[in-house]
Amino acid sequence: MSVVSEILHLLVTASLWNQVLAAAVLLLLPALGGVISERSGVVNIAMEGMMLTGAFFAVVADLGLHNPWLATLVAMAAGGLMALIHAVVSIRFRADQIVSGIAINIFAAGLTVFLVNRIYGIQDVGHASYSELLPSLNIPVLEQIPFIGHVFFQQNVIVYVALVLLVLVHVVLFRTRLGLRIRAVGEHPQAADTAGINVYAIRYGAVITSGLLSGLAGAFLAIGVSNTFVPNMTDGRGYIALAAMIFGKWTPFGAFVACLIFGLGEAIYANNSIIHVSPYLLSMLPYLLTLIVLAGVVGRSNPPAADGIPYVAGSE
Amino acid sequence: MAASPATVPERPRPRLPATARRVASGMAVPVGSVVLAFVIGALIVLATGGDPLAAYQGLLCGGLGAFCTQGENPALQVSSTIVFTIPLIMAGMAVALPFRAGLFNIGAEGQFLAGAIACTTIGIHLGTLPAPILLPLVLLGGMAAGALWAGIAGVLKATVGAHEVVTTIMLNYVAQWLLRYLIIGGPLQLASGTSKSSPIGAGARLATLLPNDNNLVIFGLPSSVYRVHSGLLIALLAAAVFAFLLWRTTLGYEIRAVGQSQKAARYAGVSVRRTIIVTMLIAGAFSGLAGAIQIAGIDHNLTDKYFSDTTGFDAIAVALLGLGSAVGIVLASILFGALHSGSGVMQADAGISSSLVLVLQALILFSIAANFLGAIRLRLPGLGRAPAARPPDSPAAALMTEAAAPPPEGSPSAT
Repeated sequence: MSVVSEILHLLVTASLWNQVLAAAVLLLLPALGGVISERSGVVNIAMEGMMLTGAFFAVVADLGLHNPWLATLVAMAAGGLMALIHAVVSIRFRADQIVSGIAINIFAAGLTVFLVNRIYGIQDVGHASYSELLPSLNIPVLEQIPFIGHVFFQQNVIVYVALVLLVLVHVVLFRTRLGLRIRAVGEHPQAADTAGINVYAIRYGAVITSGLLSGLAGAFLAIGVSNTFVPNMTDGRGYIALAAMIFGKWTPFGAFVACLIFGLGEAIYANNSIIHVSPYLLSMLPYLLTLIVLAGVVGRSNPPAADGIPYVAGSE
Repeated sequence: MAASPATVPERPRPRLPATARRVASGMAVPVGSVVLAFVIGALIVLATGGDPLAAYQGLLCGGLGAFCTQGENPALQVSSTIVFTIPLIMAGMAVALPFRAGLFNIGAEGQFLAGAIACTTIGIHLGTLPAPILLPLVLLGGMAAGALWAGIAGVLKATVGAHEVVTTIMLNYVAQWLLRYLIIGGPLQLASGTSKSSPIGAGARLATLLPNDNNLVIFGLPSSVYRVHSGLLIALLAAAVFAFLLWRTTLGYEIRAVGQSQKAARYAGVSVRRTIIVTMLIAGAFSGLAGAIQIAGIDHNLTDKYFSDTTGFDAIAVALLGLGSAVGIVLASILFGALHSGSGVMQADAGISSSLVLVLQALILFSIAANFLGAIRLRLPGLGRAPAARPPDSPAAALMTEAAAPPPEGSPSAT
């Protein structure tokens, strides 16, 4: 059986698409954070680090508090704190936002392992018991629908939350006054400032929101999909989320489509035992696809005009 | 920003030579950033119930061979630091050169891996060739592969304006997955079930600087245990080439012109597109050479160790800390080489996770990028806004504005 027919066979199974959606949500949350942050004009490549921090503190809190909901809040707060560092350094100190983002990612990678070592002494953090994980939730009646039911309505609770957030972020960004302000600040901060919008407040809020969402994704990864923390467990997902954001042209639904494509790659990777192509080559696909998008094959993908440029009140 | 000169009392100063004063003021920001990072790092260790003095003693022992408590051999530690330093020098230049052109090469890691992969592939398949032919071949192959990897980002930047930060991040991951494919189940795999490649031929290996002799005792150990290899000379030569290229050639002038102002460079007759592509090609060659030398000098085959390699990311910190100059990069590489080497001893002797080094590295990056020191000094006018506070041509400030936004018009006025 050829590789193509193996993959085609896999593509018609509901369980594959169930995995695709879960994998996509793991990318969608940080990608939404990236969209919000960059729409406000702050380049954010720190989702990886914020997500990793969230994952670590989710496990620490869950092992200590025995409550996945509180642990998730702790994880979001931890992600938000990392984002606050990025915000202060890049908004207050007007640092290069890419250097700051890299520093956040390195900081998170180092700090989490350092703290594992300080708190648990050994490399093994311990495992949260099944009852203390973020639960799966089957929606009554709807889950009975053949195929669709398994794909959409037998998912982890965070998946539903993420889909609601997807719609919410879209509506806020494009249908509310707040969204208009965020976009104005990202496109032309001087004009926004003149119109009475507090550029700094909007940017701080946007960056911290990206941290909360990335922290939530970290919690989903560590105490939903998995039940423990391992060093560098985000494994580049924050960067794939960054790719998804660009792929989706800085829009929530565009990013979601990209996350689904990348999630499909990951789900096929997870099923690599039934297909016979190197999973490592498959793992390359999201990145290659993003390069192709960036090369302009599928139309230009342009960031917000003031993305990455620190704002100095009163400057022209 | 303008400190009114009248308020600064004229103090009789010893007349230092102009170069010495320039060096001193240039060193203020990086040295201060490192000190600040170590202070905050100590506070983090202290806050988590550790002993920062023991931790830093371990770092000093493993990095410089000083203050060892567990009978470590100082010479061996220094040798280990040098081994870590070698690839950082070349990868650091792969980040620093594009900085000068206003480009941010985050892809040094991918280019490093591409170089290591090319070196290994050639070293295996032509492994029977004699060293005078094979050694240049594997090194040039590594440079070509690195140049290709970076060139993709350069061409995309120059032709369709794709942001090099994003393309190089993507290329990093492509290289990492390509590496996994090649040595796990792919054509370079040594044997089924292993995650390493076959070793390169003997002719593809760089000689160690000390004779590989078990009977010759140097600093209390057989000279064969010291792994410092001739890649050190290549790295220093590359640093000299970097400085010459940047300051003594037309291309270097064009690179700096494009970095200062693309528009002005264009009016001066410089092809901005060509300069961007050539800059990335040369940068990739530097990083590719680092990867090739790591294989040819130390490892002799690709292993799963390379999955978690961070040379190309450390290089970003090296380039920033070294303020983009050849000497600065060499010094910063020694610092990070010492930190890497010292982290193991720190973990073994003081029980502090070697990851503290990553935390320190991040703190250094924050500190340099945000110019915290400048901010602190501005708050404390009594501390003397000496010339070193922010000289008009402060390399750090110049480097940061260059890196911040390629389109120069409307670039952030940092002060």
